[in-house]
Amino acid sequence: MAAKRKKSRGENLVLRYLILCGWALFCVVPVLWFLSIGLRPRTEIITPTPIYFPTFSLDAWHMIWEDWPMGKYLRNSVAAIFGSVIIDLILAIPAAYSLSRFQYRGREDIGFYILSTRMMAPAIVAVPIFFLFRNLGLLDTIWALMLIYAAINLSFVTWIIRSYMLDIPKELEDAAKTDGAGELRILWEIIIPAILPGIITASVIAMIFAINEFLFTLLIASTPNAYTMSVALANFTGGSDGIIYNAIALVAFLAFLPVFVVVVAIQKHLSRGLTMGAVKG
Amino acid sequence: MARIELSNIQKKWGAFWGVRDVNIDIADEEFIVFLGPSGCGKTTTMRMIAGLENPSEGEIRMDGEVMNDIDARDRDVAMVFQGYALYPNMSIYENIRFPLRMRGVPKAEQDAAVRRAAELVELTDYLDRKPGALSGGQRQRAALARAIVRQPQVFLMDEPLSNLDAKLRQAMRVQIKHIQRELKITTVYVTHDQIEAMTLADRIVIMQSGAIQQIGTPDEIYNDPANTFVASFIGAPPMNLIEGRLSGGTFEAPGIRVEGLPGAHDGQVTLGVRPEDCRVTAEGAHLGGDVYGVEPTGDVTYLTLKVGESLVEVKADRAYRAALGQGESVRFDPDRIYLFETGSGQRLR
Repeated sequence: MAAKRKKSRGENLVLRYLILCGWALFCVVPVLWFLSIGLRPRTEIITPTPIYFPTFSLDAWHMIWEDWPMGKYLRNSVAAIFGSVIIDLILAIPAAYSLSRFQYRGREDIGFYILSTRMMAPAIVAVPIFFLFRNLGLLDTIWALMLIYAAINLSFVTWIIRSYMLDIPKELEDAAKTDGAGELRILWEIIIPAILPGIITASVIAMIFAINEFLFTLLIASTPNAYTMSVALANFTGGSDGIIYNAIALVAFLAFLPVFVVVVAIQKHLSRGLTMGAVKG
Repeated sequence: MARIELSNIQKKWGAFWGVRDVNIDIADEEFIVFLGPSGCGKTTTMRMIAGLENPSEGEIRMDGEVMNDIDARDRDVAMVFQGYALYPNMSIYENIRFPLRMRGVPKAEQDAAVRRAAELVELTDYLDRKPGALSGGQRQRAALARAIVRQPQVFLMDEPLSNLDAKLRQAMRVQIKHIQRELKITTVYVTHDQIEAMTLADRIVIMQSGAIQQIGTPDEIYNDPANTFVASFIGAPPMNLIEGRLSGGTFEAPGIRVEGLPGAHDGQVTLGVRPEDCRVTAEGAHLGGDVYGVEPTGDVTYLTLKVGESLVEVKADRAYRAALGQGESVRFDPDRIYLFETGSGQRLR
């Protein structure tokens, strides 16, 4: 009986690993595929016959750095994304503190309103936002991108941080109060250090959304002055050279890599942050 | 180092009374314990003293000065919380130093004060650790050190020992009392544990449903309870409360007959007698019943008798043994019989 159970458990484990391997493959193959396209000469990419042993080539690598201002796009991306995350944190931390700690009329409604801004299809506000930034004279600048990314992400950054703050025992703040700390001190010295994992989680998710943002970036960035990686990708599809698949693949891979590394590094916090948001609502 | 006066304190949340008509005068250097079941308003009262909660009505004075509108951080009060409330991101050293830093104590004095407090609670070897790396008892001591480090006017302790196991609780109890006596700081201590209250307090304040039931020294509370609530809350096992009829100084209930009681309260009454004031003997017995349970504990044996419909608890000799169902007679100490009004539960004197 025991032996049988043990055996079935073993089979179970094999099955589990098979499923997990299948899933891993499903996730990883497109990435590797992209990498392999990016590191092949253009001539080998679109052929009617499969090539089992492709030629390694850095054509695309040279092209994206030498023929295109990819360095500038990368800098734009980084600046816009980090800028937006900083704006988000500056606004979201006090907002979340207020939503999670102070009692006032309409608190829940305000919280829900903040979240609900995320429920609208972005295309609805695309045109108004275009005019808004035109009137502000911010078209084609990374400042505009920063503000847009920040606005898009602010709601859930606030929400995630709020859910972490709700998890902090009220006693901790009472203790700090009787120890002589004021509200700002409490926020700065007690709350923020205690919810650092939540802040990191929210920041990373905001970065991922920002790096993938395409619609508004395309709308705002009309020249390479404010192009980001995601919009730069679109540049490889037009023009006299046709669709430059290997360059697209390589840029996409380069855009994916830093996010991937960060997510792996903070995996533990990330899953906790997401489920906490889910459970606590 | 402070006298605390609470006068006509009320706390209401909507229609719910958290605390009503609380009047206490806490003397300087006194160790006062608020005792009661959960939800009785004892913690709320303490939080009002701390300034973490505002009374709906009434006045809180410290050394004569009205504190109602003074922020928690500006009252010279230190509090120890049930869940310890140590700052998880700071080392124990930083935790203990935090109140000094917040109050702008000169840096040079901070270190010495932290070390003195840590020494007092025997935590010197753990100052570099984070709270997460300490045991429950050590965390409790760290919280205590954080409270004593700045020598406040008043200590407030909210069930500080309730998360500890029984053995540790006893050791900490002694330590808390010792430290309080040594520092001579007015202390308000909240607990639902009557042993803690009896052992620690100069005076006990017993609360129920937001109202004070009795204030008195442990001896007064034990020997002279004001009502059935107090009588049954203090003492383990609790006082036996038996309903019956009193006429002409004789109390009668099924299986029980007690003569020679004050005769002024004829009618339906509740008779109270503590298990430790009962003696198993046939001579001059007041009560006869059948053995329902025998529980030897080593130093005493608890005997439960079924008398009529009710169970009566008796603290018997440690060697006492009996078979279930066996008939047994008990005599009460005649000087230690209490009478309460049935219904209101108020003591009849």
